[in-house]
Parts: sequence; structure tokens; C-alpha cells
Amino acid sequence: MGFAPTFIFAFAMGMKCHFMAGYSAYCGGIGAAAEVLQAAEMGGDLAESCSYHRLHMGMAEAVKRNIPINPDAILPIPDIMIAGRLCPEMAYYAEGLNRRLGVPVLPVEFPIVFDREDVPRIKKYFAAQIKETVIPTLEKVCGKPFDYDRMSEILTVLKKVVTVRNKCWEFFKEKPSYWTLWDYGVSIAPLFYMMGDPVGITYYEKLLKELQERKEKGIPAIGPEGEKYRLYWDGWLPWAFLGKFMRKLTPHAAVCLTGRYLWEFYPDPDMIDPEHPVETWINLYYDGKEPLAMEYAPKGALHEIGNLIEDYSLDGMIMFSSKTCRLWNISQLDVIDMLEKKYGVPGVIIEGDMIDPAMVSDSQIDTRLEALFELIDARRR
Amino acid sequence: MQVPEEIVHAAGLIPVVIWRGNEAVTWGHSHIPPYYCGIVRSFIDDAVRGKLGFMDGMIFHVRQCLLIMDIPLIIERHVKPEYMKLLYLPPVYPGEATRDFLISDLELFKKSLEEYTGNTITDDMLKSSIAVYNENRSLLERLYEIRRKKPQILTSAEVMKIVWAGMLMQKEDHNELLKELLPLMEAMTIEPTTKIKVIPIGCLCQIPPFDVLNMIEDLGMVIPDDDLYVGSRYFANKVNMNDNPIEALAERHLKKTPVCPTKGVWDVLWADDVEEMVKLNNASGVISIHVKFCPPHACYYPDFKSRMIEKGIPEILVQVEHEMLSMEGIKTRLQSFTESLGGE
Ligand code: SF4
Ligand code: SF4
Repeated sequence: MGFAPTFIFAFAMGMKCHFMAGYSAYCGGIGAAAEVLQAAEMGGDLAESCSYHRLHMGMAEAVKRNIPINPDAILPIPDIMIAGRLCPEMAYYAEGLNRRLGVPVLPVEFPIVFDREDVPRIKKYFAAQIKETVIPTLEKVCGKPFDYDRMSEILTVLKKVVTVRNKCWEFFKEKPSYWTLWDYGVSIAPLFYMMGDPVGITYYEKLLKELQERKEKGIPAIGPEGEKYRLYWDGWLPWAFLGKFMRKLTPHAAVCLTGRYLWEFYPDPDMIDPEHPVETWINLYYDGKEPLAMEYAPKGALHEIGNLIEDYSLDGMIMFSSKTCRLWNISQLDVIDMLEKKYGVPGVIIEGDMIDPAMVSDSQIDTRLEALFELIDARRR
Repeated sequence: MQVPEEIVHAAGLIPVVIWRGNEAVTWGHSHIPPYYCGIVRSFIDDAVRGKLGFMDGMIFHVRQCLLIMDIPLIIERHVKPEYMKLLYLPPVYPGEATRDFLISDLELFKKSLEEYTGNTITDDMLKSSIAVYNENRSLLERLYEIRRKKPQILTSAEVMKIVWAGMLMQKEDHNELLKELLPLMEAMTIEPTTKIKVIPIGCLCQIPPFDVLNMIEDLGMVIPDDDLYVGSRYFANKVNMNDNPIEALAERHLKKTPVCPTKGVWDVLWADDVEEMVKLNNASGVISIHVKFCPPHACYYPDFKSRMIEKGIPEILVQVEHEMLSMEGIKTRLQSFTESLGGE
């Protein structure tokens, strides 16, 4: 068990892995979120806690107390939890499961970087933890030496996958676009659960072919005419409400095309060096033109979102503000203000949750979307 | 809350611990959503209303929790203090890497203060600042010992104000005032109490509303001790002076107790810590004061509660907000809690 980015080390050891956001998206996707969240509430969890956290606690409670939930939402009890503390709450869930089920925790501090000048020493710290604790612990749990060759194989496949994936990204630049952010959202398994599986290459090659065909035949992602509003989406995808949002956006000929969340997954294939697997993984987060670990801190976000607005010719921004996860919300209102001033692209906040239906309001979504479209229209006039 | 103030003090500056203001949020609404904890909302509100211009510098521990990460950009845009530093101060994770990183954070912090003030901070300067802080910790421990023996000597809000004052004023002055106060308190005779003793815990980085503390006492309970940040948590653990003061400060940061849910400690249980305090004070129950929208406390709370149940220690949750619109709900909860403990 583990979650991005550290679960790749467990993958390399041949361990079956699950990671926090992946399970949560899955629960949302199979429609099991509400009942698992209810089980969490029965275990005493407060509704204001991060809904991904609550889903895991709910699952643990369901197992412990025989609370009937969708059996597909139940995972086996893990041998170890790798707690990559990118967001401090990622550690709370591992700690919680440790307290409730006694599962050992392998904690890794994985700081979000606020200032570029801090990158070298934070990178050094992260690297030292991988070498000092992650790899030796996994070796102990698995009873065998760390499999660097397997990690290289995984990265070889991943490099191919993201190379093709980036060609697909180019189709978001087309006007009209031939696919939507949601389509990409449901295509991320090859970058995660199926990481290292060559079927991921086939998947993206097929996807690329389909996009090329759509372009040749003139079939845009939405409607016969294509989109009127090209939008940026900030934050997690609303996994349990993808259909709801699609049904609200398409009647306005609006489509979400990019977002820093789904662009964080290895945007630069040249940085993937299968010859140096461990270093590659560390570099992916802390090096490069736009270190991933900076995207969450507001200054990195400004840069990253600005680039996406320009690269994908966007008209407006939807900033999805989760009421229980504040990872992407960091200074979001000021971020919108600064981006609006710099790029002349309006944005609105939509408050909600990626999983919890109790926190999603139809009327609020409708009003904010209306406001966004009016703002875009006004600027066009 | 984990920023080592001693380094700021050694630079010749006055460290003031971030506070929650006493006004309702107004302009801040355009910068921070309502589902954030009180201290972050209130501090951001003060910032955008131009109330923080009197501060020369600000230091934030950005890894304390997700919510605190909202502050730096807003401060940079709307307050622009002369000095600003973000510290990463890692959680208490095992291994040399964490310790080394923590020490590098503290060294760089020291360096940046030297650059800002133009003064070199020598080891001796740091050691004398540590001595001032350790003295303050000893004096506050003494205050708490007196209170433990004579819980009615001061109200809980008064005790809190004494601790809080020390977070806002020059430590040397606070020490002097405590030295005047403590002998007077020691000399006072107070009738032993028969009231029900309860321990408030939580409020991880901010002061609880005084009204809640007053209400606990008005309902016939007495507070002989606490596990609150503006309380016993603030002065827990002296710095063990050794040859290298930065390392000594790092050692204090790496202490696992009092257990703080922001610090990544999972092998010591908060409830076990609190149980000790309950026994020490012969208390009958525990009141968890949870700041609404404080994820570290919220995520830990269910396990704390179930452990309290296992131990047979009565416990109740009270949620507080920056703008306490109604105290009625809290009063009803506390009233029935008192009754369940055998009070009136
Ligand atoms: S708060 Fe957000 S980023 Fe953090 S663990 Fe929860 S869902 Fe993940
Ligand atoms: S520790 Fe809790 S109360 Fe303090 S800033 Fe973080 S979330 Fe807010």
C-alpha cells in the first residue's frame, strides 16, 4: 500500500499497491462513496475531515465492525503504509489506520516547496529519506533486495506512455478540442495503478489514434460545433460528480481542458531516465523547469496556471475549492485575482467536494457557472 | 506554534506568537473561505485590513498544517513586512535525514535573521536566550503547580491570559512579573475544593474563547490543569542546554510529548498522555476543545475518543469557532456532561 509518489518503490518490489487518491476516485466512481463516508461517521469521524481520509477510516470501520458496505469498496489490510507527507493530512490517514488496525507506517516527509532557493536542500532531504528509510524498510518487509531493475523497467514503460500522452495533450490545443479534461481524468490509470504495464502504451496509442480520427472527421469533444468556452479547472477532479459537471457545462458549450492537477504527472518525458531510477523519481518532483512540488505553493501555481492559460488558449477558470481538502485551495482567491489581472481571464470559485455529496450544491454550481459565462461574454464584447 | 522563538530573541528582536484577533472577519472573506480555522481567517482578515503594519517581520511554519500555507502569499501581497521567513520544520520522523534537515532549517533561519538585523548571533547569545526561555518555562510550571494544588486560585481564563501575555511581550518582563506573582499565590490560603475537576485539551495553536472556559467553571466544574496550546503545551519541555544550542533547539522540536497531531507522532498516543494528566490531577473528565476546521485535531479526534472510552475516562467534544454565534448548544452539552460526572 502507498500513494504517489512513493508507491513506485513498492511497485518495484512487486507489491500490490493502493494509494489514497486512487482509492478515493475509485470509490467515487463505483458509487460507493456515500455509504463508506457513513461508516466513517459511525466510527466518530467528523464531517469536516478530508473526505479521502474519511473514506479510508470508513472502510476500516466497516471491516472492524461488520458494517455492510459495497464489497468492492473493501481493500485487504496492508502489510505496510508508506505515508508520503506531501499534504500533512496524508500522514493523518496513515496514522489513523495504524492506530485502528495496527498497520506499520513508513513515513516520508515530502515538503511542498515555497521558494525555489529551498529546492536543493529539500531534494537532498527527500533523497536521504528514500535511501535511509524507504528502500531498507521495503527490503525488510519483502525479505529481498530492492529491485532497481524492475524500477527501471517501470520507468521505461512510463516514459513511453507519457511521450504518447503528451501527443494527446496537443489535441487540447486544437479549436475545437477533440477531448475533455474529464476524458483525460479517466485515462490516468496507466500513469498510476497500471504503471509499468505495457498495456498503458497501447491505451494511449489507441487514444491518440482516436483523437487523430476525430480531427480528420471533424468530430469535436462536445456538440456538433465544438466549444464556446474553453476552461481551466483547478484542483482535484470531482470524482463522484464528473457526470453532474459535464451535464452542467455542455448545455453552455463549455468544456474544461486543462488543470494543474492532471498536468502534474510527469509532463517532461526527458526527465525520466530509466538508467537512474531512484534519482529520476526524486528529480521529477524537485527539479526541472517547473518542479512539481512547487505547484501547490501559490507562487508555483501562478506560474503553472499562467502557462496553461496561454498554451491552451483558455477563456476562463473554474477554481474547484474543496471544503475538506485545502491542498489546491492555497490562497486560491488571491491566485484568481492575480491571474485575472495578468491574463485578463476571469475565474470563479466553486465550492464542493470531490467525493462527499453532502457538500455539493447544484444551485451554487449553476450560479457560479452563469457568472463565469457572463464575465467571459462581457470581456469578449 | 513550533517556531523556536529563542533564535528570534537572540537576534535582538521581540518574538510575538501569532494570535487570533477579537473581531469578526470582514474583508478577509474575499481572501479566505469560511471553511478555514479561526486563527487563519482572523489573521488574514487583520492582514488585509492593514492591521498588521506594525510588525517588522513574520515567520511561518508552513508544514504545520495545510491551512497555515494560505497565509504567506497573502502577507506578501497585502502586508509586505520587512522580514519574512518560511520554515519547514519537519515532523518527528525517525532517521538522521529528518534531524539533519531540521538543523539546516534552524541554521538558515539564524542566518537570515543575522542578515536582516546586521548582527551576528553567537552561540553565547543563543544560550542566554535559551536560559531566559527556560526560566519562563520553569516559572510557568510553578504557576501550574500552584494551580494544581489550589485550582480555584485563579479562573482558567486568568491562567490563560498569564500564559498568553508571555507569548506577546518581552520574555524578561514576563519573567519578572511572574516572579512577583508566584510568591503571592503561594502564600494564599484557599479552601480545598470539592468541585468536579476537568481537564480541557486541544486548541492546538490558538487561544480558546474565554467564554467557554468561564462557562465550564460557571457550571460548577473546576480546571486544575490543561493540555491546551495557550496553556501547558506552550511551556512544556525545556531546552537541554548543551554545547551546540541549535542542536539543543532541534532536540526540543523532536520531542514526542506532549503529543501534537501536527507533528506526525504515531507511536505515542495522545490519550495516554492525557490519562497521565487526569491521574495527576485526580480529575473526573476531559473536555476536548476542537477548533472548527482544524484538520490535525479533527482527524485525530475519533481515535482519541475511542481510547478515552476504553480507559473509562469521561470525555466530551466542544467545537469552537472564531465567531461564536451561539453558546447555547455548548452550554447544553457541558451541562449534561457535568451532570453525568455527578455535578449539579
Ligand atoms: S487534504 Fe487533500 S491532499 Fe491532503 S490527504 Fe486529504 S485529499 Fe489528499
Ligand atoms: S493547527 Fe489547526 S487551528 Fe492551527 S492553523 Fe492549523 S488548522 Fe488552524
